[in-house]
Amino acid sequence: MKKIVLTMLFASIGLVASEGEIPYTIGLKLTPQPAKIYAAECASCHGKDGKQTSFSGFPGGIAYAKIAGMDTAMLAKTIKEYRGGVESKDYQPLNKYGYGAAMLAPTRDLSWDEIDAVAKYINGLK
Amino acid sequence: MDNKYMENMLSKMDKDLSKHGMNRRDAIKLAGLSGAGLFMGTTSASAEEEKIVKSDAKAKIVIVGGGLAGVSTAARLTLQLTDPDITIIEPDPNSVSYQPGQTMVAAGLWDEEDIMYKRDDFIPDGVKVIEDRAVFFNPQENKLTTEKGQVVSYDYLILAMGVQLDFERIKGLEEAGRALSSGDNEKLLDALGDSICSIYTAKGSVKTWEIMQKYIDQAKSGKKTKFVFTHPDTPLKCGGAPKKIIYLTNSRLKEAGARENAELTFYPNGGAMFGVPEYHDAIVGQFAREDIKYHYRHNLIEVDKEKKIAVFDAKWQEKGPWDPIMKDFEVIPKREKVRVPYDMLHIAPANIAPREIGESDLGSSKGWIPVNKETLQHIRYLNVFSIGDVAQVPMGKTGGSVRKQYKVLVDNLIALMNDKKMEAKYAGYTVCPLITDIGTVMLAEFDWTVKPTPSFPLDPTVERWIFWLMKAYALKPMTMYGMLSGRA
Repeated sequence: MKKIVLTMLFASIGLVASEGEIPYTIGLKLTPQPAKIYAAECASCHGKDGKQTSFSGFPGGIAYAKIAGMDTAMLAKTIKEYRGGVESKDYQPLNKYGYGAAMLAPTRDLSWDEIDAVAKYINGLK
Repeated sequence: MDNKYMENMLSKMDKDLSKHGMNRRDAIKLAGLSGAGLFMGTTSASAEEEKIVKSDAKAKIVIVGGGLAGVSTAARLTLQLTDPDITIIEPDPNSVSYQPGQTMVAAGLWDEEDIMYKRDDFIPDGVKVIEDRAVFFNPQENKLTTEKGQVVSYDYLILAMGVQLDFERIKGLEEAGRALSSGDNEKLLDALGDSICSIYTAKGSVKTWEIMQKYIDQAKSGKKTKFVFTHPDTPLKCGGAPKKIIYLTNSRLKEAGARENAELTFYPNGGAMFGVPEYHDAIVGQFAREDIKYHYRHNLIEVDKEKKIAVFDAKWQEKGPWDPIMKDFEVIPKREKVRVPYDMLHIAPANIAPREIGESDLGSSKGWIPVNKETLQHIRYLNVFSIGDVAQVPMGKTGGSVRKQYKVLVDNLIALMNDKKMEAKYAGYTVCPLITDIGTVMLAEFDWTVKPTPSFPLDPTVERWIFWLMKAYALKPMTMYGMLSGRA
């Protein structure tokens, strides 16, 4: 009978620790990194500080409320509504204030864990 | 093999046999098999070992995923290479849990301990383990990055990370997230609550038994009780499991004398019970005999936990008006949301490839890893192979398929390392020991010919107690001590 219980070595050969920042991709079941998510998905419209209230990137420009410091639970609920169910084919995006389509694209791939983390982050923006 | 385990298993089996007035030799004769054949599957381990010619080829092999497929492959490579350099990347210390046993746990026949195994007990000598998840792949440079930021380079890469169970796509269960079979899965179980269960996770199968007992008691008290079972619109690992849990629930209800008050209904997304006509017919017969109802082309899309209603996306076709140009009737596709009240709901969740694959150059548009289905080599990156549930190979996301695939993969990888032609071919074999009752199993074996390919000289569409013995006693040691050491 061969003994199967054997040693485990933490790899050392051929492995090089990476330098610089680890990339973060949303939707991979990684530990959420809300600052990176906010910077990638939210900041272009809402501003780095969450206080921007207009965006000229859309034809005619659009206006909205500032989000910095909003209630965490309310933010999380709203973002989840904008996001909708994963791949549910007949899903109609929530068209609150007419921003359904604009909010669907950046939220589509977020997991609920990531939404909760980002909501907390936005609440903490001063 | 673990002697003590084998003896224990055999003595349990003898007890079961003597209840039926038989001894072990009679049982083996009944199956028309040699003893080794019954207990070790169809390949004899010793004959297999003699054939092995060790190769001197040297290269750094990285295996992503330390489940059954990954560890079996590592073990076989270790047997066949004189100087192996193998690294497995796997974060879960229980990644080699015995998943086929989850049906047994859910029916209260086994305990959770019977299926939990420690990964490190099965890692072959000299194989390195990185306890982390590979999340970024750079196949152009033969490198990948783990979640903690370690960059790992390789000469050959084997992808065996399995599937994720996508509960979050069901409206009402978004907070459940995506789960893996092992692990504590607390978030998932909290989201499912006390009336919805799924045997697709190890912890979930324990909970399934609790929930099932609760509703069997309810039926026993005289209250009409509705048991609803689903099957998703994605490829599914162990496509038989959604039916096994129906049969086991049915069996436990009969045992409790509560079957009359229970209504069992199956809502599969597909339009048939099984891809192989012979097995389809057999299952339809079993459903009729056991009075289990079913409605094809229903896909679960939403759950109302408060009101206990499951919402299905139902599709069907109707005959339309006469088309004078085509000289035939039109076919009108119909679609409707169907609301089904339930007492207990069993969900077979959508299975998806981990998203990091779809995000990388290695995945297809649907996220699976496109490989040559016969050689298991990646279609673009020739030093990459994939095996098991995550490989884009038709049919058979089962441990039985892996049992054939890992030998093919190892033979081909070693051929490639030696600059030889890859000659080993996988023919699509898979197996579903379909439990139809506590005590009977229909051993559905088939391959890409979509015809039954029985290993035993017996009618494969008949439910047999002898295959129950094999499922309940022999397949686990074969998997845990045969496959995981690279021999069976």
